[in-house]
Amino acid sequence: MATLELDSITKTFQDGDDEIVAVDDISMSIDDGEFLVVVGPSGCGKSTTLRMIAGLETITSGTISLGDRVINDVPSQERDIAMVFQSYALYPHMTVRQNMSFGLEESTDLPDDEISRMVSETADLLDIPSLLDRKPSDLSGGQQQRVALGRAIVRDPEVFLMDEPLSNLDAKLRAQMRTELQRLQDDLGVTTVYVTHDQTEAMTMGDRIAILDGGELQQIATPLECYHEPANQFVASFLGEPSMNFFDVTLEGDRLVGDAFEYPVGAEIRDDVGDVTDLVLGIRPESVELVEAAGGDHDFEMTVDVVEPMGDENTLYLQFDPDADSEGAATLVATTDGLTPVSSGEAVVARIPEEAIHLFDRNTGEALHNRSMEEAAQQIDLS
Amino acid sequence: MSNFYQRVRRAINLSASDDQRVGDGDEGGRDAVRTDGGVVSEDSRNPGSEPGVLDRLAAGIDGRLGSDFLESSIFWIPPFLLMGLFVYGAVIWNFLISLTDYQRFANAPDYSNLDFEMYTRALADSGFIDAAVNTFILLVAFTAGTLAVGLILAILIDRGIRFENSFRTIYLLPMSLSFVVTAQFWLWIYNFNNGIANRVIGVFGLGPISWLGDQNIVLWAVIFALMWQFSGYAMVVYLAGLRAIPDEHYEAAKVDGASTLKMYWRVIIPQLKGATISAAVVLMVFGMKAFDFLYSLVGGYRPPNGADILATKMVREAYANLNWAYGAAIAIVLFAMALGVIGPYLVYEFRRNNL
Repeated sequence: MATLELDSITKTFQDGDDEIVAVDDISMSIDDGEFLVVVGPSGCGKSTTLRMIAGLETITSGTISLGDRVINDVPSQERDIAMVFQSYALYPHMTVRQNMSFGLEESTDLPDDEISRMVSETADLLDIPSLLDRKPSDLSGGQQQRVALGRAIVRDPEVFLMDEPLSNLDAKLRAQMRTELQRLQDDLGVTTVYVTHDQTEAMTMGDRIAILDGGELQQIATPLECYHEPANQFVASFLGEPSMNFFDVTLEGDRLVGDAFEYPVGAEIRDDVGDVTDLVLGIRPESVELVEAAGGDHDFEMTVDVVEPMGDENTLYLQFDPDADSEGAATLVATTDGLTPVSSGEAVVARIPEEAIHLFDRNTGEALHNRSMEEAAQQIDLS
Repeated sequence: MSNFYQRVRRAINLSASDDQRVGDGDEGGRDAVRTDGGVVSEDSRNPGSEPGVLDRLAAGIDGRLGSDFLESSIFWIPPFLLMGLFVYGAVIWNFLISLTDYQRFANAPDYSNLDFEMYTRALADSGFIDAAVNTFILLVAFTAGTLAVGLILAILIDRGIRFENSFRTIYLLPMSLSFVVTAQFWLWIYNFNNGIANRVIGVFGLGPISWLGDQNIVLWAVIFALMWQFSGYAMVVYLAGLRAIPDEHYEAAKVDGASTLKMYWRVIIPQLKGATISAAVVLMVFGMKAFDFLYSLVGGYRPPNGADILATKMVREAYANLNWAYGAAIAIVLFAMALGVIGPYLVYEFRRNNL
């Protein structure tokens, strides 16, 4: 068990005369036993980062160290890591037992009976002893997934690397494996780096999440911090489904002026913003409240354009201007209780509470004002 | 006959319309009302008439051999007959000749007195035994050697080297050459006085060796020449096999701690089983056809001492010595060997549902 430390890791690929930066100066430290989820859209460099940790890609600059050992030039074979691949990469000509013992046979000098004891222990842990003598092609996707996990676990490595291990499973099985993986990682206490593009996995599984975009680290923090106090507009838009509403506004005096509305803000928020005037107003759909009648500056009379009933909640697409054609007009997405009857075309009053808004610098994307975590927590308590 | 005509007409109607019955293989569905316009099949039009003998026979054949067996026959019968007559018919005829004593300038084989005399003669003929042993050595050594060289070349080329396509073409090129051409090459290379083979080993103070004259060496010299010609083919087959293995298997093996050698030996090469089997079958068949090479090497039916194989022996007995029946018997032995190679392969493919 050890701390995994990435220090200014950069990876560039050569494409003809062009240099493509896949990973740009990423530094992070993963504590012993921590579960770190690396998340980002495709092409953000998250898999490349993982593969550099695994030793499957060379590092252009920067250092990776495991414990006190710099492992930049250590071949994968000697890094004492185990990796779970998206495609599982089970060896098709070997039985499950052979698949699981392969790593131990190759990386240790353990005697055969010791290896077979460890394999059956791991199989028990994963509930797959009945599969041990079958070939991967005879297994279902979920079973293959377990075997792939077992192959990593049996090695008892210093670090687990997982590259979107659940993305080939169906939704129900994925949810089940998500919980199970978390439990396993808790029990085993092995430092884990988990790459995914799925924000549900990121939010629910990790002790911390690292959000990457364009090869750069956007934020590394606990899931709730990232959700409620995003470092920038990218993080804010990436987490949350449906994603946060954004409106371009300019600060004029004490009001935020947008194309479709004006929104007065208090002194505290104006202090946070400073002298930046080109802003983006962000509001999470679940923070928008529907009220009986307009009762203040933060209430807006709107028209329901589309209703998407999800069962437990409704997703409403609201328009400021009922006459605008639905393509270009400013739309506010709001989620409401699934039992509140709302229908398309209805006029409603939406309240955008001042304590729930986020403000971003329109040029840099940086967050200038976030709702505070305490307020968010309070709101959850109240409801 | 009219029944048959009706069946054919119905078959044509069937394929011309989008009738739901096509392919369901259910003869009982014949009375069904057609979906495309209420045309009702013959049995319902003539209520009470018993199905004819031909009809019942056809139904029986269909039931046993699958529906459309008769209807499709006009497509497969002509090639079936051609193959049957000119390939398998000729094989059977050849077998019959091998049972006679046909030789010299007799006008025609005498089929009245058939026995296995030619086969017992072959077993007593030391020339035949030598040729059979040589054929076997050539098949095994040539196939194994070519597969090994092809595998190594394929792995090296698959390592993402530069000019990969050029290398692939260079290694495959010898296979496109005729045996006549490559035999001439190797005749020069193996030349005792100024061939490049003796020149090269001369640099190390060895030789000169009489590659084609020494009967202990000549077979191996021929095997080496054939390996040179066909290892490019084995390489291409293996390369296709390697390309089908996902990168993750290499990576998983590396992360699992396997060295490069162990990775290939335990993870990659076992997955090339299918490629090995299909390449081996093709190579063995080529090995049996080494006649062309040996014939071109010496320009005649008499290959160098120590390199006589069944194919050359067969042709020599038949056309040089005019022992027609004896040549035919050797041909049947060779045919049995070829079946011995291909038969298991066909069974293997059939078991895997590839046929």
